[in-house]
Amino acid sequence: MSPDTATRPKPPPKWPYTVVGLALVAIVLVAGWSLDNAKWERLPQFPAEILQYAGQMLEGVLTRPGAHPEGQADPELTYGDWWLQALRLMGESVALAWIGTCVGALFSFPLAFLAASNTAPWFLRVPVRTFFNAIRAVPEILLAVIVMLPLFGLNPMAGAMAIGIHSIGSLGKLTLENIESVDQRPVEAVTAAGASWWQRIRTAVIPQMLPETVAFWLYRFEVNIRASAILGVVSAGGIGALLNRVLRGREWEWGGIMLVVIIIVTILVDQISAALRHRILHGADTIAVAA
Amino acid sequence: MSQATIERADGGPAPVRPVKPPPSPLLIGGVAGALVATVVAGWAIDFSLAPVVDQWPMLTMILEEVVHPEWEEITDPASRLWTALAETAAIAVIATFVGSLIALGVALLGSKVSAPPAVYRVTRPVMSVIRSLPDMAYALIFVAVVTGPLPGILALTIFNIGIVAKLTSESIDAVDPGPLEALDAAGATRWQRARVAIVPQVLPNYASYVLYVFELNVRASVVLGAVGAGGIGQLIMLYFNRADYPRLASVVIVIFAVVIAIDLLSQRLRRRLV
Repeated sequence: MSPDTATRPKPPPKWPYTVVGLALVAIVLVAGWSLDNAKWERLPQFPAEILQYAGQMLEGVLTRPGAHPEGQADPELTYGDWWLQALRLMGESVALAWIGTCVGALFSFPLAFLAASNTAPWFLRVPVRTFFNAIRAVPEILLAVIVMLPLFGLNPMAGAMAIGIHSIGSLGKLTLENIESVDQRPVEAVTAAGASWWQRIRTAVIPQMLPETVAFWLYRFEVNIRASAILGVVSAGGIGALLNRVLRGREWEWGGIMLVVIIIVTILVDQISAALRHRILHGADTIAVAA
Repeated sequence: MSQATIERADGGPAPVRPVKPPPSPLLIGGVAGALVATVVAGWAIDFSLAPVVDQWPMLTMILEEVVHPEWEEITDPASRLWTALAETAAIAVIATFVGSLIALGVALLGSKVSAPPAVYRVTRPVMSVIRSLPDMAYALIFVAVVTGPLPGILALTIFNIGIVAKLTSESIDAVDPGPLEALDAAGATRWQRARVAIVPQVLPNYASYVLYVFELNVRASVVLGAVGAGGIGQLIMLYFNRADYPRLASVVIVIFAVVIAIDLLSQRLRRRLV
């Protein structure tokens, strides 16, 4: 046998990738074909029109805040008023996301201990896990529309509670995974020393899983700020309701100011939260890397 | 609790129990900051649970209707519900496919492993600006051009590019440098490095991110209809505005089932991938 044929391994077959790739393309084509009302022929118009709207938005953002926009009912209105209003409503969005996250954290934390395999028996685990999965599956907007708006009316409390209940599901799942992945040795040690269930949790489990769980809370807060914009569309508080109205009314200058406020505040909160999460998870000795 | 001064049998010096370290100022500051933020936020949104008591009859009235869903809507395969759901599914599939494909390219431009510094230093902040806008904002802008599923697809595509590109570029940052060094030594171009050493390493992670955004898209496309971007969200808004709770309930049941089914399926696939 020549050394060439003996040493070189045969490359793995490529056909499985080809088959999966072709199947995916087929599914996408069928999906595209099934959308008979999609008006695909309008697609080429998008770049030009979006660019035009973006131009008007930029104009709104760059105009001196003291100037008066044209065509408004109130002649006293200035661009500065738009900025202040956007900031105030974005503040409301952040506040309702924060309260929602607090509600989610407060309820998911104790519940997760009843759902983790190393802290709870199966007859508690199964119902609590099912509860987490069930509320995770209901989008916030449905929760808001069916339960929270009738209860709280068209105000930020409805949005905060919708976000809060939804967060119980997702935070609960992440927290229980944190509990299940703790090092079992400290738990065994305190058990051997005669600790009760509660002492075991307090001294061996919570100290191990708390930092990661708090980091998840912060991450969830970032996600919830984005979710709160959606809830605005059904008038459950925050900047979403006005954004919906302004963009639908094609008031691009005003909309541009609102979008810039959303982008700046979101990125700012993300950066602060990322730095805090890094500090919580890795301690003070390492330097956070900016995203 | 008594200070531990345990008598030793041999009469030697008693071991001293170590003192519990005091909480760090940062921890105190963090907890205090969180409390202040909560109070301020609660004040800003007029936090009150009183409506739960006041409005309870209203809620039970609605729930009464919700527990009697319009089954005909679910059992009839030609109903508006199923038509809208098919539209939602198609939107999610197309947006996931197109968005993920573009995102792979963007991810390669966004990692210092695969792109020159000048490129990734620009790509990363652009990506974080794209991500900072919620999918709803994109949908609102795109429906100004044309209504129907097309703006929904475009909005979700951009949303997916943001998420998949971020996660994948972080995976690329963490690839095993061994194969890269081997290729550099053999004189590979950037493109060859990406194709031979980077993409095969991140492919399982990438596939799992794609499935993850597909899950997100199914949920999101439920919502997009609320602003006129096609799919089942339009039905939600329609029945909500008409206060037609039995029909709304049938929509909720179906969405619930679909979301759980897709979550389970994609979780199983993801567990196999990674």
